[in-house]
Amino acid sequence: MLAYHLRLAWLSVRRHPVLSALIVAGIALGVGLSTWALTVRHVLSRNPLPHKDETLLYVRMDAWDPAVDPPHTGGIPTQITYRDLRGIMESDLPLRQAGSYVSNLYVYPESPDVRPFRELVRLTWSDFFPMFEVPFRYGGPWDEAADARPEAVAVIGSEVNQTLFGGENSVGRTLRLRDREFTVVGVLDDWRPSIRVYDLTQNPTVPPEDIYIPFNWIEPMELQTSGNIDGWRSTDGETFAERIAASESVFIQMWVELADPGDRAAYQSFLDAYAADQKRLGRFQRPLDNRLTPIPELMEELEVVPEQAQAMAAASLLFLLVCALNLIGLFLGKFLARAPQVGVRRALGASRWNVFLEHLLEAELVGLAGGALGLGLAAGGLALLNRAMAEQLASDAYFRLDGTMLAAAVLLSLVAGLVAGLYPAWRICRVPPARHLKQA
Amino acid sequence: MLEMENVTKLYRTDLVETRALKDLSLVVGAGEFVAVTGPSGSGKTTFLNVAGLLDAFESGTYRLDGEDVSRLSDRRMSRLRNEKIGFIFQSFNLIPDLDVADNVEVPLRYRGLSGKERRQRVDEALGSVGLLARRNHLPSQLSGGQQQRVAIARVLAAKPRLILADEPTGNLDSAMSREIMDLLEEVNQAGTTVLMVTHDPASADRAHRRLHLFDGQLVESSAVVKPLVRPAAAGHGAASA
Repeated sequence: MLAYHLRLAWLSVRRHPVLSALIVAGIALGVGLSTWALTVRHVLSRNPLPHKDETLLYVRMDAWDPAVDPPHTGGIPTQITYRDLRGIMESDLPLRQAGSYVSNLYVYPESPDVRPFRELVRLTWSDFFPMFEVPFRYGGPWDEAADARPEAVAVIGSEVNQTLFGGENSVGRTLRLRDREFTVVGVLDDWRPSIRVYDLTQNPTVPPEDIYIPFNWIEPMELQTSGNIDGWRSTDGETFAERIAASESVFIQMWVELADPGDRAAYQSFLDAYAADQKRLGRFQRPLDNRLTPIPELMEELEVVPEQAQAMAAASLLFLLVCALNLIGLFLGKFLARAPQVGVRRALGASRWNVFLEHLLEAELVGLAGGALGLGLAAGGLALLNRAMAEQLASDAYFRLDGTMLAAAVLLSLVAGLVAGLYPAWRICRVPPARHLKQA
Repeated sequence: MLEMENVTKLYRTDLVETRALKDLSLVVGAGEFVAVTGPSGSGKTTFLNVAGLLDAFESGTYRLDGEDVSRLSDRRMSRLRNEKIGFIFQSFNLIPDLDVADNVEVPLRYRGLSGKERRQRVDEALGSVGLLARRNHLPSQLSGGQQQRVAIARVLAAKPRLILADEPTGNLDSAMSREIMDLLEEVNQAGTTVLMVTHDPASADRAHRRLHLFDGQLVESSAVVKPLVRPAAAGHGAASA
């Protein structure tokens, strides 16, 4: 019977092609805009490491000025100081741990044919790579010995590898950063996480950096941060090492990965004990506040999905609702014009339910047609957005429809069809059959 | 087959209340062929709509094939209409988007018959009205008489116990009218009760009995004196109901 109702619905759509096209266009516009806005929100809120939600934690510690609240949201600095990084890296509780920050350096290629260029270099620890499941095309990360010493080793991304070495296996080759030669130990595969989750203090949609070196080069090379930095107290010291060791400026993103979610309490206790020790030394003058935050909560706290994107998604859904509500009148006119024919069907044995279902299916059919067209509009809109924001996005197709959004578009189409068709279908099924039989 | 007792039907607007049927009581036996006559506005069509469960009534009782239908759910009434009643209308009331076979199939669809049984019944019914060759034509491609024959085939395919015909020859010329009346007569002779509203005295004369309505009331119920010789029937197969 469902197939029969669908066939009748299709016949009805064909009978009034212009009216049907108008309704389809109305739904397409609403579904297209909604799907576009929801896809933007969906892509920005996608957690690239959902299986590590309970073990991979972002570390924040409140060593801020007791007199003034820290900037940004959440009432706690979003990064930690160099001295606290040193302090908490002493713990052997985490399975992996890595603080990191970026510095902007000149890269001097081996080949005299390639001009030197500036590149963001991330200083981090060897644990960073397995922690964030960074894929390698050649070689791999450096080892703990290279972290400690530090050794002049580097991991490079595919673009820098292309620029410097023509895309070949460059493991063992060298590149010069400032005045120091670094040996390539690993070349990354195409790594384009949806969100650059390891550093949510900056634009999270940009591609990851293309050069990584051991963190401990910070002091020998006196590498300043090029990322976000917040401070509340000036620091005295004659050398870079003295100044940074005493600095209260926060610029390091610190992550720990625990072997077991049950270790979280123990690591929290460690952080609290460390902070208590520091308090005794005159630091950490604010109420004790050390936080371990999994990725989803951190993304929410740091508003990875901008408020504008949230508002746009909500507004687009409202627009779809308005489109659907406006289509009620068109459906009503279309259905009621068919009252005499419905009277005949009722006389031949169709129940109210049969009539209701037939007309609701027609509305859903039109809704799905509008949804299909709307998906095309959404895909076009996303392509335009990718082009307009090309420099800020990790890939050319950063915002794109996936299975979830296709399913969402189908659902939106069905809901739009339901909203637009429910009342008209109900009205036509309530029309007394005898009233229109003479006009049929 | 059909028993009404003191059935009253009102039409109300904000200003006026019209009694379309006033305490109507009548009995139509199984297998009868009854003509309902009366001037315009006498309540003939209202009576047919009430009898066909297409319209509710305010008071009285109505028993259809032994079942009290005064207070039935829409689902049950639809079922009864589908299984027991066949309608033939003055303006044929075929569905314009459906071809002949699909039109005949409509009541069978709502009955939930299998595709094989539907096809068999449709072909049988179209054969009996001589339109099997037109099964894939649209109603707009048929003459008025052919359309009414399709409407009759639609009734025949459903094999109802009662046929309600509202001016079935009202839009047809006299030759075509005779043909349609012949078909109805054959269906009746096969055992189906026929209740026909008509203005046409010649059509009314083909019934066994005539009910005359005036101002919503039954004013006369009389047996029809049959002519000894019927007009020659148009060429069509034997109707079966």
